[in-house]
Amino acid sequence: MNRRKLLSLLGMSPALLAGAQMEAQQPKAAKSGKVAAAENAQFEALNPKGSPPPVKLIPMAPRLDSVHGKTIYLVDTGFMSGGVLLQQMQIWFNKNYPDVTVVFRKKAGSYMEDDPPLWKEIKEKGNAAIMAIGH
Amino acid sequence: MEKLGIPSVPMATKSFADLAKSNASKRGMPHIRACFTPHPVWGKTAEQLMAYVEGNDPVSGKPLMQEIIDGLTVPLIAEDTKTGMMDVNVGPPVYGPDTLDNLQIHFLNNGMTDFLPIIIPTPEKVDAMLKGSSHHPDEVVGKMAAGAFAAWTFTVRQVAVNAVMAGCEPEYFPILLAVASSGMAALGSSTSSFAYSMVINGPIRDKLNMNYTIGAMGPFAQPNATIGRAWTLIGKNLGNGGIPGDTYMGSQGNNTNYNNIVIAENEKDSLWTPYHVQKGFKPEDNVVSLFAGEDIRQGHGARGAGVLENPMFDDQISDMFRTLTSQFDALVICDPLTIKRLVEQGYDTKEKLTDWLWKNTMRTAKDYRDSAFVYTFHYPRALRGEEPYATWYKCPEGTLIPYWPKPDNIVLVCAGGQTNPFFQVGNLTYRVSVSIDKWM
Repeated sequence: MNRRKLLSLLGMSPALLAGAQMEAQQPKAAKSGKVAAAENAQFEALNPKGSPPPVKLIPMAPRLDSVHGKTIYLVDTGFMSGGVLLQQMQIWFNKNYPDVTVVFRKKAGSYMEDDPPLWKEIKEKGNAAIMAIGH
Repeated sequence: MEKLGIPSVPMATKSFADLAKSNASKRGMPHIRACFTPHPVWGKTAEQLMAYVEGNDPVSGKPLMQEIIDGLTVPLIAEDTKTGMMDVNVGPPVYGPDTLDNLQIHFLNNGMTDFLPIIIPTPEKVDAMLKGSSHHPDEVVGKMAAGAFAAWTFTVRQVAVNAVMAGCEPEYFPILLAVASSGMAALGSSTSSFAYSMVINGPIRDKLNMNYTIGAMGPFAQPNATIGRAWTLIGKNLGNGGIPGDTYMGSQGNNTNYNNIVIAENEKDSLWTPYHVQKGFKPEDNVVSLFAGEDIRQGHGARGAGVLENPMFDDQISDMFRTLTSQFDALVICDPLTIKRLVEQGYDTKEKLTDWLWKNTMRTAKDYRDSAFVYTFHYPRALRGEEPYATWYKCPEGTLIPYWPKPDNIVLVCAGGQTNPFFQVGNLTYRVSVSIDKWM
């Protein structure tokens, strides 16, 4: 009877044989010179990254002396519930800064699209903008 | 707004704090005065959102509204008004010399892999890969970006480096150049965890021994496996994608991103026109067509007329469509046996079936409009009068409308080994077809 069948009859896993064999194969001494040399061989590797464009620094716009008496646009870019959040902000401004004119606008197009007519309106009629840009 | 001279404060939820800061830097305004609310905003009531407004910014710990007002009024410092150019460092052109093990660890620890072992791109291996194309190593192949970030440019050699890493053979290289030249990355930046697919047509499938029979979409052939894997590495390394919290925000991730859904069409056993011929190419042309979307799912669970005794696959495919989102289209992969059965039912062309599916897969306008994706992506188009979205938003709630604007939004291809008449449905949208021959 072979050992595999004998172990099965005894209720033991034949995989024990594989385990014993694996253990027997573990190196007991230092690796052979050939293997060690291969592992220590030196190589160069090319950088896999692409080439990013240089970043052009953009100066920020001058700040307001205060928000009193100013017109602030609240811009909803279309993320879910972003408009509801900004409407609460509008209520907050009306209560805490009643002399601030708050204009709520939903940006045209999906969140990744530009809306030049709205930017033009804000430039002409507004003093500042708050944009809800994410979830 | 800042560029137009309007002081502004962008606002996002705290989960996007790192992304907002990093993106502002990459766009040239590293000191932008962003504010953050708790996360999420979606699904909160007006009362809960008012509590956000009246509460603190969870990133700075300061009262949110005071921070916003400060952002608009506190005078700028010199750093805020700097101009000029800023270089972005992506490391030296060559790493090493070092052992293969150490280089493997270096690539892994520096985010240049998919966290599976790679083939180290030694100059010798990259040179061998470059022999797979007649194009000059320094030729610029194109630009690629993850989502809305700045696009990076890359050369034939840089594509070759990634092809080596993925385990590709030089004869696969023209396919990868074609894919890379599209500029389409296989890793999106969205909070949705997108999936990507490519359909390969033409004689190159047999030349490379691509698998399009048994297990066509499984891990059973080197070209299918490694070409798909290389697409992910290309998106990561050439397009700067796949950095969680920065250029990748997929909330749950997508397992197909490891090597994407690579489909070599089974032109030999299909009774329908190959996909690239539908797109205007000749049968002998080698073409790769790219798709993006949500996922892919098996069709066996579908309901449909005569499921057991007399399977009607048109009905079953239509049933599967009802599980898809309208944000993306449908890519249906049919086993040749399924196509034989559909031809017996009278669908001897793909167009006949896509027409039937388009006309017979309907839902109410209410169901359509209740989708978050529809609100985000279709509603803005409806607002500016774009059809059919404008009509779909105006019609009564109970009106039945199709899933997609046109029958062309449904794509049919063939793959499989005829062990059973099965099909799979991807919620995937066709983007572009690119000639592989051009990159030979």
